[in-house]
Amino acid sequence: MNSAMKDSNEVLVDCQSVWKIFGSRAQAAVKAITERGLSKKQVLQDFDCVVGVSDASFQVRRGEIFCVMGLSGSGKSTLIRLLNRLIEPSLGKITVKGKEIAKLNAAELRDMRARNIGMVFQSVALLPNRTVLENAAFGLEVRGIAKEERNRTARATLEKVGLGDWTSRYPAELSGGMQQRVGLARALAADPEIILMDEPFSALDPLIRRQLQDEFRNLTKSLGKSAVFITHDLEEAIRIGDRIAIMKDGVIVQVGTAEEIVTKPADEYVSDFVAGISRIHLVKAHSVMRPVAEFKSSQPQCDVNALLRTSPEADIGELIDLTMQSERDAVAVVENGTVIGIVTIRGLLRGVAGAPARELAAA
Amino acid sequence: MDTSFITDTFDAWTDTALGWISDNGEWLFDAFRTVLEGTYDGVLWLLQLAPFYLIAIIAALLARRLINPLSGVVAGVALIFCAVMGLWTETMSTLALVTTATILALAVGIPVGIVAGFVKSFNRFLEPVLDLIQTLPPYIYLLPAIALLGYGPATALVATVIVAMPPAIRLTSLGIRMTPHEFIELGQASGLTPWQMFIKIRLPFAIPSIMAGINQSLMMAFGMVVIAGIVGSGGLGETIYTAVRTLDIATSINAAIAIVILTMMLDRLTQSAAHRAEGRVR
Repeated sequence: MNSAMKDSNEVLVDCQSVWKIFGSRAQAAVKAITERGLSKKQVLQDFDCVVGVSDASFQVRRGEIFCVMGLSGSGKSTLIRLLNRLIEPSLGKITVKGKEIAKLNAAELRDMRARNIGMVFQSVALLPNRTVLENAAFGLEVRGIAKEERNRTARATLEKVGLGDWTSRYPAELSGGMQQRVGLARALAADPEIILMDEPFSALDPLIRRQLQDEFRNLTKSLGKSAVFITHDLEEAIRIGDRIAIMKDGVIVQVGTAEEIVTKPADEYVSDFVAGISRIHLVKAHSVMRPVAEFKSSQPQCDVNALLRTSPEADIGELIDLTMQSERDAVAVVENGTVIGIVTIRGLLRGVAGAPARELAAA
Repeated sequence: MDTSFITDTFDAWTDTALGWISDNGEWLFDAFRTVLEGTYDGVLWLLQLAPFYLIAIIAALLARRLINPLSGVVAGVALIFCAVMGLWTETMSTLALVTTATILALAVGIPVGIVAGFVKSFNRFLEPVLDLIQTLPPYIYLLPAIALLGYGPATALVATVIVAMPPAIRLTSLGIRMTPHEFIELGQASGLTPWQMFIKIRLPFAIPSIMAGINQSLMMAFGMVVIAGIVGSGGLGETIYTAVRTLDIATSINAAIAIVILTMMLDRLTQSAAHRAEGRVR
């Protein structure tokens, strides 16, 4: 796919200070926010308006899977609907592929939705009176593509999601997991650059969900698509996302890679969330190692050059394996031929257990 | 205080207005009458083209296909029974009247219902009008119709169409409004034009409700067709009306049986067609 070869730093979706306020007096509330900087609570009190999304800013780059994690009512579903203007923002600027979507007219918006932004829903929303093939071809049909061509594309996409033998069935004959694959195929068949995933796997049972998560990630990466993926499950966000945004009460609390979020939670809310997450494959050597000088001063008898070596990207699982193989209780972290730090057993234990918030802030 | 002058004045106005309309609009109502009777005669001619056993066989095959084989046999036998009672011509003319009236009612009712499904303010205006039409006793509609169109099937048709239309309008409008939210969202997110949204999303989901509306219209039409016997509708309605006036109980019972057979058959046929439509959407 040529899209995969394009500049991976290209920003496809850019949200700048986006607000969404629900209520009959939303306009007045927006004015008060811009002029007086009212808080969410004040907006609710003074204007009887609910703030769905509050001052959200983030960017999604080409080829990136961007997860938005939040509990119900955190505004994540509102946020994703702002990206294809199913919901109009009250304030702020959203740019998709360099075009400010609030300024598109009806025809331009339809064109962008049909060509550039695909969407997959939690409810799947497969049309019950159409076969699997007709459902998968829906986006192309809307664009007026001839039947033979759109069926060929839809069939090829269904094969990619493993449903090549089910094309002439009706949605009601499929299991939940298979239905969601059709939903994904429908979004992919139109070949959009960006796919919006609105909690697509939340209603599935855990085994199927894991399987679909992996398939989704592989498929998206191999096709070079970008995705915004909404979920209420942090583990899912970690499995799928290149970067994760944590949302709470309409506010994006933290944006970062899975490792950043687990090792450096921005506040107590996030650290509570990450408390139950297994860190073995998330935490990397560079965040648990000690500086070489500090190690030498505490253990002068130990020869750094005799230690087993590894890269800064080695995760805790690999570090534990290395430590077990070695007679000494430390592993050297090497980058470009020089030792940049030492991982000791203390460091490993700290990495597995997670540091208390105070200590992290100091680091 | 004597207040009867208020109603007297109003009644006088109504009479004058009706008189004026029938004098000045005569050409219009004559044309209307010709069109209505022409349609009715056409349908009747078509139904009488085939001998009774052929119609019975067609009905039996239809019932077999749409419902089940037993219903097919029952439908065929029941129709032959109508012919045996010597009421075949009347049965067919009632069938012609009911089908013509229902088709006219649907031709107006479904488009109006679609508009009402989309335009909330229109629906708000329409609701009380439909309530009024449905609460008034149905034979009320015979009076203005007979004044303007005269004695005969045209009057029966107009009154029947008025009575049969409300369910079609209501259920069509309901069906259009009831599209599940997630499918509206799917349509928007897929970049559908408003017309595509109507044809590809809203209409398929509305079909079961519209089919139920068609069934209800048909039933209302059957009810009215018998009453319309008073204004010379012809068919079974008139047979019953004449039999009642001459206390010919035996004939009235025969005609009633024929009406029941016809009504039940069409009801079951349209109902199972509606169920099939529903099965396709759900």
